[in-house]
Amino acid sequence: MAQVLQEKDSVRLRKVLLQLLARSESDDCLLCDSGGHMLALEGASRHDPFLISALGAGVFGASRELARMLGENEFSAVLHQGERKSIFLRAVDADTLLVMIFSQSANVGLVKLYSTPAVEDLRQILADIKQGPPVGDTEDSRPFVLSTETQLFSLRKE
Amino acid sequence: MSFVNFKKREVQFKIVYYGPGLCGKTTNLQVIHRLINPEARGDLTSIATAGERTLFFDFMPLVAQAIEGYQTRFQLYTVPGQVMYNLTRRLVLRGVDGVVFVADSQWSKMQENVESFANLEENLQLQGETLQTLPHVLQYNKRDLPDVAPVHYMEFMLNHGAVRQSSFPAVATTGEGVFEALNMVARQVLHKFMIVHSRKEEGVRELALV
Repeated sequence: MAQVLQEKDSVRLRKVLLQLLARSESDDCLLCDSGGHMLALEGASRHDPFLISALGAGVFGASRELARMLGENEFSAVLHQGERKSIFLRAVDADTLLVMIFSQSANVGLVKLYSTPAVEDLRQILADIKQGPPVGDTEDSRPFVLSTETQLFSLRKE
Repeated sequence: MSFVNFKKREVQFKIVYYGPGLCGKTTNLQVIHRLINPEARGDLTSIATAGERTLFFDFMPLVAQAIEGYQTRFQLYTVPGQVMYNLTRRLVLRGVDGVVFVADSQWSKMQENVESFANLEENLQLQGETLQTLPHVLQYNKRDLPDVAPVHYMEFMLNHGAVRQSSFPAVATTGEGVFEALNMVARQVLHKFMIVHSRKEEGVRELALV
C-alpha cells in the first residue's frame, strides 16, 4: 500500500509547518516517514530534503533502538547542535518524524516549545489522512498511467 | 511503502540493495551514479567506515520517466552487509518497495549468500512483508572472477521459490548487469503500484526497458 497525501492534506500540513517555521524562527521544517520518504517541506534553505529525510529517518530509527536498549519506549526527540546550524528531530507518531533545521540565531528552547503544539496538530492531520478514503475515491484521483517513454532512466550521453 | 503526493504530483518508491558483505552493493550505486544522466539523480551519500565499508547505508535518489503527469522518484539504498549490523539492515528495510539481492558469485561466498538471503526473508517478515509479494530481483555479481559458481548453481541455491525471479549475471565494476537489475526491479515496483492503485486496467501500458 502507498501512503497517499491528497491536495487538501498537503494544505493542512503546510499551514502547520509554516506557522511552526515562523514561531520557532527555524530555517526548515520537514515531515518524513520512518522509511525515509519526504511527506512535506517548508523553508528556504538549499539542503537536499530527500537526503535529510533519509538521514533523519536513519538517525531517529537508530535512537529508537538505543532507547529500547535502555528500557525506554523511545526517545521522543533528538537534538544535534552545531556551531552554526542545528537539527531537532521529534516523533509525530509511530511512523512519522518532524525535522527542524535552525541557525544559531534561533533559540533552541523556542524550537522545542513550539514543536509541541505543532506535533499535536500534525498528529491529528496524519490520523485524519489514515482514516480518509483510499486513493481512487477522491477528487484528486485520476488513474495512474505508465509513461510510454522508452527509457525508464536516462543515461548520461557519452 | 510507496508515497504519493497529489499536490506536488510526485510518487516516491524505495529500492534496497541487499546482500552479504563485500558483494558489490555500494559498487552498484556508484556505477549508476556515474552512468546516469546527472539531471536524473541526486548525490550519492555513503555512511561508511574509514575503510569504506558501509556502516549505515548508501543513499541516492533517482528521477525516472515512469508515471505520466507525476515526477517518479526511486530512492536507492544499500544495507551494510556485515552480519553484526542486522539492526541497521532492519531500519533500512522499513517501507521498502523493491529489493535487488546482490550475490557474490565466488564459490567461497556461497554460504554467505544463502545466509544473507535467509536474513533478508527474516527481516522482511518482522515488518510484515514477504518475498512472495515484494518485488525483487537477483544479481549474480563478480562474474569476471576466476573461481565462480555456474549461474544454474546460484539459481538452485538462491532462486528456487515457487515463482522464479528475474536474475542477472553481473560485473558491477564495469556496469554489466547493473542497469538490467535496476530496470527490472523498478518495473516490477511500478507494476505492483499500478495493480494496487489503478482502478482502470486499460490505463496500464507496457513499459519499455533501457
